[in-house]
Amino acid sequence: MPEEFDVIGRAKPKIDGRAKATGQARYCGDLKFPNMLVGKILTSPYAHARILSIDTSEAEKLPGVKAVITHRDVPDLKYGISPARWDENIFCIDKVRFVGDKVAAVAAVDEETVYQALKLIRVEYEELPAVLDPLTSMDEGMPQIHEQFPRNINTEIHQHFGDVEKAFAEAYHVRTDRFVGQRTYQSPIEPHSAIAIWADGKLTVYSSTQSPHYFQYYLAREFGLPMGDVRVIKPFVGGGFGGKLEPTGLEFAGAVLSRLTGRPVKMFYDRHEMFAHNRGRHRQYMEITSGVDKDGRILGVHANFIMDGGAYTSLGVASAYYAGAMLPLTYGFENFKFDMYRVYTNLPACGAQRGHGAPQPRYALECHLDMVAGDLGMDPIELRLRNARRPDTVTPNDFQVNSCELTACLEKARELSRWDEKKGHLPPGRGIGVAVGSFVSGAGYPIYRTDLPHAAAVIRVNEDGTSATLYTGAVDIGQGSDTVLCQMAAQAMGFTYENMKIVSADTETAPHDFGAYASRQTLMSGWAVKRAGEEVKAQLLDMAAAMLGVAADTLDCRMGVVFDRATGEGKLDFAQAARAFFVKHGPLVGKGSYAPPKLGGTFKGAAVGTSPAYSFATQVSEVEIDAETGEIKVAEVWDVHDCGTVINPALLSAQVHGALYMGMGESVWEQVVFDDKGRILNGNLGEYRLPTALDMPKITSALVHSEVPEPAGPWGVKEVGEGATIPTMGCYANAIYDAMGIRLDSLPLSYEKVWRALKEKREAASVN
Amino acid sequence: MASGRRGSPARRRRVGVKGRGFLFLYLPDFAYHVPGTPEEVVALLARSPGARVIAGGTDLLVKMKQGLVAPPALVSLKRLDGLKRIAPEPGGLFIGARVTLNELINSDLIRGKYASIAGAAAQMANNQVRHTGTLGGNLANAVPSADLPPILIALGARAVVLGPDGERRFPLEELFTGPGRTRLAEGEILTGVTVPEQETTGSTYLKFGLRRSGALAVVGVAVAVTMEGPVVRQARIVLGAVAPVPMRARAAEETVRGREFDRSLAEEAGVAAAAESRPISDIRGSAEYRRDLVRVFTRRALERAVRDGHV
Amino acid sequence: MEDRQGRSRHLVTLVVNGDEYTLAVKANTLLVNVLRDMLDLTGTKRGCELGDCGSCTVLLDGRPVNSCLVLAVEADGHEVTTIEGVAQNDRLDRIQEAFIENAAIQCGYCTPGMILSAKALLTRNPHPTEAEVRQAIAGNLCRCTGYVNIVKAVLAAAENS
Repeated sequence: MPEEFDVIGRAKPKIDGRAKATGQARYCGDLKFPNMLVGKILTSPYAHARILSIDTSEAEKLPGVKAVITHRDVPDLKYGISPARWDENIFCIDKVRFVGDKVAAVAAVDEETVYQALKLIRVEYEELPAVLDPLTSMDEGMPQIHEQFPRNINTEIHQHFGDVEKAFAEAYHVRTDRFVGQRTYQSPIEPHSAIAIWADGKLTVYSSTQSPHYFQYYLAREFGLPMGDVRVIKPFVGGGFGGKLEPTGLEFAGAVLSRLTGRPVKMFYDRHEMFAHNRGRHRQYMEITSGVDKDGRILGVHANFIMDGGAYTSLGVASAYYAGAMLPLTYGFENFKFDMYRVYTNLPACGAQRGHGAPQPRYALECHLDMVAGDLGMDPIELRLRNARRPDTVTPNDFQVNSCELTACLEKARELSRWDEKKGHLPPGRGIGVAVGSFVSGAGYPIYRTDLPHAAAVIRVNEDGTSATLYTGAVDIGQGSDTVLCQMAAQAMGFTYENMKIVSADTETAPHDFGAYASRQTLMSGWAVKRAGEEVKAQLLDMAAAMLGVAADTLDCRMGVVFDRATGEGKLDFAQAARAFFVKHGPLVGKGSYAPPKLGGTFKGAAVGTSPAYSFATQVSEVEIDAETGEIKVAEVWDVHDCGTVINPALLSAQVHGALYMGMGESVWEQVVFDDKGRILNGNLGEYRLPTALDMPKITSALVHSEVPEPAGPWGVKEVGEGATIPTMGCYANAIYDAMGIRLDSLPLSYEKVWRALKEKREAASVN
Repeated sequence: MASGRRGSPARRRRVGVKGRGFLFLYLPDFAYHVPGTPEEVVALLARSPGARVIAGGTDLLVKMKQGLVAPPALVSLKRLDGLKRIAPEPGGLFIGARVTLNELINSDLIRGKYASIAGAAAQMANNQVRHTGTLGGNLANAVPSADLPPILIALGARAVVLGPDGERRFPLEELFTGPGRTRLAEGEILTGVTVPEQETTGSTYLKFGLRRSGALAVVGVAVAVTMEGPVVRQARIVLGAVAPVPMRARAAEETVRGREFDRSLAEEAGVAAAAESRPISDIRGSAEYRRDLVRVFTRRALERAVRDGHV
Repeated sequence: MEDRQGRSRHLVTLVVNGDEYTLAVKANTLLVNVLRDMLDLTGTKRGCELGDCGSCTVLLDGRPVNSCLVLAVEADGHEVTTIEGVAQNDRLDRIQEAFIENAAIQCGYCTPGMILSAKALLTRNPHPTEAEVRQAIAGNLCRCTGYVNIVKAVLAAAENS
């Protein structure tokens, strides 16, 4: 039974709810500065081409244009969010590598002038043959996209734990299946935008970012500035989902345009340019082989994958490792082999999208296991229960798992969905399916090698003690970290949420934090906040004790009241003690920071997938298929999550809804498609189909808690922001198989694919 | 400088001219006129080559932002109240070109007399677009997957066109000449449609899209049947999104004429309609898939029109 | 009238949130740009430019429309309600309160458009069914919430009227 708290564990209203509900919240594109210019980037119309010449003279002459820049005007230092692979330039120098690659930029007095100027820039290209198929990109003789990466191999992984060959040899049943994922794109509703202000040798950038720190770090590096001269500020952000974790051309080019013009420059991408910039989910080609004993226990798994990285690395090295690394988390098999090639193609670069490399492999494994279950005549949930990871175990790839309630999640999902009643008994065209998943609660290691703590926080109580301000570098991109961390601060201090204020995600005013990714903040930023709050409380109780003439350890503080621990009697207001502290000692400040312990093994790539704690989830879905058209109607989805202690139940279930929604979209509707010249065909929200309010199933979200709270998380918290995206694709595919007996081995599970599979099934039956 | 052994040979290209090759989501400037009468509109169009009329603008402005059309002038219809009318006239009902999709859905006259027109409009786009987009726009833009043409053609609608030589009317079916192309000559505008009095006993429009809102029709089937007891006296079956223009499925119509209606007759009609449809493959679906959807939805539309028994 | 480069400007009068404004705009100025850039009412958002996402939704004479597809000159003489005009002085509309109470806001970017679509619905239909709510907001895309709490909030607001 989880412990009862005063401030955490409550569905407090969001600290920014009113601002967002009234239109007061300002996102980067809403900001204006005096004398501000507007800027945009000119991009390549070709997938692969040499740049022969760029003539900006006509553009420069257009009235209202204040600066036009190309690679000649910017540093040529290669950058990238993955330090192992710095392969991007601010502007392409000798060649462009995808349709949408950056060639030049313009700053002008208004948007219309910028567009007209872009059209006047004359670029002469020599078109080169393009690599558009990841499956042939490594072949002999294919065009080389980056000279330093022969055979277009960006990342190559060969990991082997235990002995899978032996496991397969000893197995009762060995099976191999192949699956293909699809390119999808985060498509946050708010477009990318950045405002750069370069003045007096110092650079300030406002950006729609998931990590002011990484932006600050890479901007400083690119321009040779000390980090102290670069300030990155996050305004309100309209969603990121992984696509806003790395600085883009908007920040780099905007900075240079601002330096040249001496004015603030606002840069932005429109929806089509967002699709071109991408950094979304990799398409993966996945071959899964497993060996099981006659009781369905998995003895070994071989995952053999190829992923399409697009033209640059982005976060793709980590994505490649995550793709395999996460598979053993949910099941207890000891023998695991993982082979992966992440290849370059002349398509928009892929990066980290909610679930970071894990959802498609999870779809593959979960479908594969259902087929194994079918071969053995076993119920799919039963097979998973036999293999479900237990708490306090270590995976073959050296991930320490403390709390793990996957078994309980499976059992509860089975119960809530009435699985036993339904499986095998639903009317024709209806089916039920299951899948599980697991995800990290923050990455054990930061994106670049550094000994910086992962999170730091400061809390300052104001002078008369009627409010307290939390300073944290943690980044609220809509998931609610500002709210949740204020709850945690108030809980730790013995204060009230309603009197909390927050300064966050500004590298000048808030202490360091790596930002919003890998579902890290509730756990990692939370630790820093908890420690800061406890430090405030300790000083406050010392002061109160002095005022009351008692020993400090006889007192505690809750909800703004200092009370006697033995009797429960209130003795003093928090505010009175805080004010007295300020009078006597100066500002009442607490600080905290957090770095995870050293995690993981010592093999190559061991760091990726390490985490202080892991979430676990089971999803069950019930679908109805129109046998004539292939239309998939998902009637209901149940998500049962082990995500540790809940700080804000309303925000938590909202995250489950949202993560499931994205998993759902990628399962059935979403796919970025290209023509044979590498141009995006559906870079808009009419043809890249996000599900609408009319497309939603009924969603039931439930939680399971471990007896002992997760020791690695403050108050036992774990992640939830990405966990519910991971099982969905496999869950739907398994439900469709249950409904119609057709196995869809590629994503998305489109209506036409269902129709075609049913047609082929009918034709095969009539032949026999 | 070597190109790979595979792939197309290296080519020199000059770009940056008139935005060719780029996609800028930006609305170019234009001259703007607000005439007071339909005749003034026609006169303005006649003397401004390339000028287009704007009603709701939900198709036109999208195309302009995507750089697909760049009219030097737009002629607003906003003062033309006569084009907002939904009114009976001898022999039928006049629906003005400026009537919005939501106005179609909410009109008592249309819901009473031709509920299937309201039903078709209700399956279009989303609420915001339905408050702005118009009947005239949906017809004049002539997108092959447009949802209003099939049901209007099934109900025998006639286009009302005003030009320099005055007004003419002709079967709506004849308006469409190709994807995005109509019979409207330079200087002509569609002022509305008339839907005739008829003996139709049941009609409906079924649309298959890839999500439940904001989806173009992958196929659309409109049906208007005249039943005499259990026998189909006649049927009009119109397919959308499976040919360059909305097309009458005449073989399917022949199949059912004069025969007693049951599911297998409807299936026969579906097979015939599928065979005569001419779909292409695009990012929303393959030709093969669309053809089979025609079969399914022709059958379903006939069944519904017969069963529901309202126009 | 024409500027020095020969480009035409048109005078338009708009009543926005009850206040009248007369502005000189170009023919290609969109209503969304008037609101955001000229009147500093940045609650109305730009998301997709093509009328697919609904983040630019405003009420035009009470009807929800995509302001990114409305020319300012076409809106001349009409009334516009933006998110800034929903609260009355400092009293939130019951729809705004319901969104806050039901955790229907995450990143908040779709929220202004959602609230306006909901407001138009409840004005015309004070007791909608869940299906009617979903129909009314189907043109407002949200990437964060799965619409679950949004639908809940609109139904709650309807109940509280």
